[in-house]
Amino acid sequence: MNLNIDVAEGNEKSVVKLSGEIDAYTAPKLKENLLPLTKKEGHQTEINMEDVHYMDSTGLGIFISALKSTNENDSDMRLVDLQDRVLRLFRITGLDELITIDTAIRGGNE
Amino acid sequence: MAPKFCVDIKQEWDIVKARQLGRDRAREIGFGTVDQARLATAISELARNIYLYADSGKICFEITDETDRKGICVISLDTGPGIQNISRVMEDGYSTSGGLGAGLPGVKRLVDQFDIQSEEEKGTEIRVIKWLR
Amino acid sequence: METLNTEIHNYRNLLKHYIQIRDEQSLYGAEQLSKAFIKDNVPPEEIINLHIRAMAELYPDSPDHFQDSMNFLLEVMISYGIAHQEYRSLREEQSELKSEIAVAANMQDTLLTTTKPEVDGLDIGVVSVPAHQMSGDYYHFLKGEDDSLGIAVADVIGKGIPAALCMSMIKYSMDSLPEATMSPKTILKNLNRVVERNVDSSMFITMFYAQFLPYENKLWYASAGHEPGFHYDAATKTFEEIKAKGLVLGVTPDTDYREYERTIDKGDMVILLTDGVTECRQGDRFIETDEVLGVIKQYADLPAQEMVNKVYKHFERMQNFQLRDDFTLIVLRKEV
Repeated sequence: MNLNIDVAEGNEKSVVKLSGEIDAYTAPKLKENLLPLTKKEGHQTEINMEDVHYMDSTGLGIFISALKSTNENDSDMRLVDLQDRVLRLFRITGLDELITIDTAIRGGNE
Repeated sequence: MAPKFCVDIKQEWDIVKARQLGRDRAREIGFGTVDQARLATAISELARNIYLYADSGKICFEITDETDRKGICVISLDTGPGIQNISRVMEDGYSTSGGLGAGLPGVKRLVDQFDIQSEEEKGTEIRVIKWLR
Repeated sequence: METLNTEIHNYRNLLKHYIQIRDEQSLYGAEQLSKAFIKDNVPPEEIINLHIRAMAELYPDSPDHFQDSMNFLLEVMISYGIAHQEYRSLREEQSELKSEIAVAANMQDTLLTTTKPEVDGLDIGVVSVPAHQMSGDYYHFLKGEDDSLGIAVADVIGKGIPAALCMSMIKYSMDSLPEATMSPKTILKNLNRVVERNVDSSMFITMFYAQFLPYENKLWYASAGHEPGFHYDAATKTFEEIKAKGLVLGVTPDTDYREYERTIDKGDMVILLTDGVTECRQGDRFIETDEVLGVIKQYADLPAQEMVNKVYKHFERMQNFQLRDDFTLIVLRKEV
């Protein structure tokens, strides 16, 4: 299984659309794409996870790195539209309290 | 010392010229078909490295005639960027991971003696010898 | 090259025989030769040369274009020959690495070994199996003077050697804590500080720490983002998730953990695990929690150790004997 990373980069805000699986094999690619965005001061990164059906702990590690980077660079990151199985991982690990996760828009816009 | 033959490597066609010259010398001093083919392949690798990575360079041949053995020495000289980490490029699987060519470890396997010197920003000199069996 | 000289006669005779009567026996002989060539590391171009020489002896008058074509084939095989040699030497390197890892795995076993304690009235079962040679899962038991029992289960992100190295660090940090006198939440708070200072930003560890006080029928516990365990209630024969909220170790320098308490009655079981158990896959399908519990329930009447062994065997088989992640399962059953 693969991971597709689609980055729509803007001046103030970027939207990253992920689809596939995030595991030890695809995580480095995600890190490569995600970290530069979080290093831009004041930048907002929205990560759409609607089509991510599997993520393991390596994937969590990438989001932790990205989170630390947003704190250091005064940028912002939010995850939207998470599948239940993936959301559960963020909840168990307590990371849902550190990372902004938008579950409200799940199932469509408004 | 026997006469020295050189081929300047500027375009891909020069790789063929170097192979041809090397094979002719090898045949003249009595190398068999398999060793001729191996030597030609080694020359190809060396010449292609010059063609791909260095501004200019040449492949030279010397007949090495010692009392108890005879062989052919191929010298690759270039004024390219040099090799930063020689141990690294001599590792199996390093240069071939891209799927191209046999790399320097391949050249080393095709010949009997292999010596390389390289200086960054100056160039690389590789000397290989194949002895007549 | 010794072989070549003896093999050329063999090769020529076999070839001659085959061309005369095209029998299966000669082809069987060719197969044997082929294996001998591989064993002696004969490169493909040498074999073609052997063929050229044999043909020249058998049919000295064969046409030029045939001989030329054979020389052409020989040339084509040179790079295959190099690739074959490279493959051989990489294979040797691989087996060296494998034996080095085996030594490291042994060291890890020795370092991380924890003995399953004997506690009156408590039946304990443990199974912990790495997906590869080295494990990123860790568990340990600590028996206090008052017969209390400390139990730690931890899982390092990822698997294999990096995870195993990190695990050793955790083991040493735990050894340096006066663990027996500390509460679960304090232990996690201390470990978090060590992990945060010492590991890469994308690395983290989850841990569940529990203290069991047999005479009070109480389990005290705290979790650092660890996969929740289960409480089996013997009276109702049902499982309940042991929920505990807490951040994984190593993310923020000052994390406080909450401590929870639970009453464990006679016959009840506490099941602790790592995500290697709950993230089992059958093909592309994930095993649901209910299925895990179903399997545990199926063996619930067995002694704890037999039970965890059976559960492990069940999932090992379900995953075609190839674990995707390190697998640790601990069962404590209160007998009195």
